[in-house]
Amino acid sequence: MGVPGEGLAKGLAVTLKTMTRRSHTQQYPDVQPELPPRSRGVIALLEENCTVCMLCARECPDWCIYIDSHKEEVVVPGAARARQRNVLDRFDIDFSLCMYCGICVEVCPFDALYWSPEFEYAEHDIRDLLHGRQRLGEWMATVPPPPAHDPRGEPAKEETAARKRAGSA
Amino acid sequence: MTAEALREVTAGTGTGLDTADMVLNIGPQHPSTHGVLRLRLVLDGERVVACEPIVGYMHRGAEKLFEVRDYRQIIVLANRHDWLSAFASELGVVLAVERLMGIEVPERAVWLRMALAELNRVLNHLMFLGSYPLEIGAITPVFYAFRERETIQAVLEEASGGRMHYMFNRIGGLKEEVPAGWTDRARTAVDSVRRGMADLDAIIRRNDIFLARTVGVGVLSAADAAAYGASGPVARASGLDLDLRRDEPYLAYGELDVPVVTRTAGDCHARFEVLLDQVYASLDLAQACLDRVDRLTGPVNVRLPKVVKAPEGHAYAWTENPLGINGYYLVSRGEKTPWRLKLRTASYANVQALTTLLPGCLVPDLIAILGSMFFVVGDIDK
Repeated sequence: MGVPGEGLAKGLAVTLKTMTRRSHTQQYPDVQPELPPRSRGVIALLEENCTVCMLCARECPDWCIYIDSHKEEVVVPGAARARQRNVLDRFDIDFSLCMYCGICVEVCPFDALYWSPEFEYAEHDIRDLLHGRQRLGEWMATVPPPPAHDPRGEPAKEETAARKRAGSA
Repeated sequence: MTAEALREVTAGTGTGLDTADMVLNIGPQHPSTHGVLRLRLVLDGERVVACEPIVGYMHRGAEKLFEVRDYRQIIVLANRHDWLSAFASELGVVLAVERLMGIEVPERAVWLRMALAELNRVLNHLMFLGSYPLEIGAITPVFYAFRERETIQAVLEEASGGRMHYMFNRIGGLKEEVPAGWTDRARTAVDSVRRGMADLDAIIRRNDIFLARTVGVGVLSAADAAAYGASGPVARASGLDLDLRRDEPYLAYGELDVPVVTRTAGDCHARFEVLLDQVYASLDLAQACLDRVDRLTGPVNVRLPKVVKAPEGHAYAWTENPLGINGYYLVSRGEKTPWRLKLRTASYANVQALTTLLPGCLVPDLIAILGSMFFVVGDIDK
C-alpha cells in the first residue's frame, strides 16, 4: 500500500481533470436527444394497411391492443358477387399496459404498425395513455426510415422482397 | 489501539445491566437493496447476532407466467426479472429452447450475441461500480459510471431499440441484422469506455475512505460461497475460480481465451475489485467478438415455423450472467408454451450467503456488505 491519502489525491486529480472538460449533461428539454431509428418510443398505426386480422392483439403478451371491426359489402363492378371487407371501428393501444416488446410490430403481416422514437406522451391521468386510432395514426408522421443493414449480414426482408418483385416484373 | 477497537465504540449508561437483543428490520424498502429485500436482524447493541433474508416482496410469478406465454412472449418476461442483465437473461431462455429444438444458430448470430452479452455485462457492472460506492457514501463515482453506461446504452439502443429491455434475442438467432456501421460504433464505444474506466478506477479503487469501509469487511470464505451456491463476481472474489464461459463454454466462448478475474480475500473490496477488473476483461472480449463479427457474413437468424413448438422433453442451459450463474430448466410437452421453465438465478443464491456473512458484523458495515453482494431483487424473487 502506498502513501496514506494517495488514493484521495488520485481521485481529486480525476475530479480536477473532469472540471476542465465540457460537461456531459444533455440539456433536455432545451436540447432534444438524438434517438436511433430503431428506438422503441411509441407505436404508430398506418390504418390503410390494417386488415383487422387481429394478429397483433392476439400475440400481445399483455393484451393491451383493443380492436373492433365490422364487415361491409363492396360491390366490385364486373364481379359476380359482392366482396366482404373488414372495416376498422376501433384500434386502441393502452400504453399504461404496453411492455414495449415490439411483438405486435413484428407480427403484423401487412406493415400497419411501426415504431417511432417519440417518447413525450406522459399524462397526468393514466386513462389518457390509451391511444385511439386517431392518435396512433398521428404518430405515423414521426416514424423514421429504418437504418440500412450491415452489408455483411442479410438485407432486410422488405428489401429482398422488393428486389424479387422488381426482378419478376 | 487496533483497527477493530477503533471501529467499535461502547456507549451506555454504565449500569452494567445486560441489554436485551433487539430485532430490527432492514427494508423491505431500503435504497441499498436494489428492489425490495427485507433483512430480519437480531442485534446485540451495534453487533449483528443473526440475519435472515426474507425474500418474496417482489415476486411477480415470472415462472408461472412463462407457462402461459409462447416462446417469443417469454423473452419479454425473461429480460425483466433481472433488469440489469436483460440481454444475458434473454440469451439463457433462447439457448434452452434452441437446445431442446435442436436448432443450430448461424455463426454471425452467435458472435453478435456474445458481443452484446459482454456489452450487457459491462453495463451491469458499471451500475454496481457506481451504486456501491454511493451506498457507502461516495457520491462521485456514480456519475462517472453512468457516463460510461450511457455510451454503451446508445450502442445497444441503436441495434435493438431498447435501452434496458432489449428484446433482441429470438429463437434461432437475433431479431434482425445490426445497422450498417454499427460494429465500428460499438468498437468506438468500447474504446471510449476503456478510457473512461481509468477515471472511475482512479477515483475509487484505492480511495482511502473506501478502503477503510471495505477491506476486511464481510469476508466470505470459498467454502461458504460454494456451500450457498454463490457464483459470479461474489464467488470469484472468495477464490472460487468458476466461470462458465471458460469452464463450460456456451455460444462460441470456447474459441476465445476468457480471462477469469479472481481474488482470494473474499471481502467487500475484493468483490468490488473483481467487478472492476471484469469490466476490462469484458471490454476486451466484446472487442474480440466485434472483430470476429466483421469477418463473418450470412444471416443472423433461422427461418422458423409460424408456430414454434418445442418437442416433448426437457433441456437445461446455464449461462454466466453478469451476476453469476443463471440456469434455465425447460420442460416441454410439445405445446407452444413450456410446461415448466424453472429459473436458477444468481442473485437468489448469492443473497443466501448473507445469513453467514452478516452475523458478527457491525450495523454500519451492514450496508457495505449488503451492497457488495451484487444482487438485483427482481432476480431473487422472479
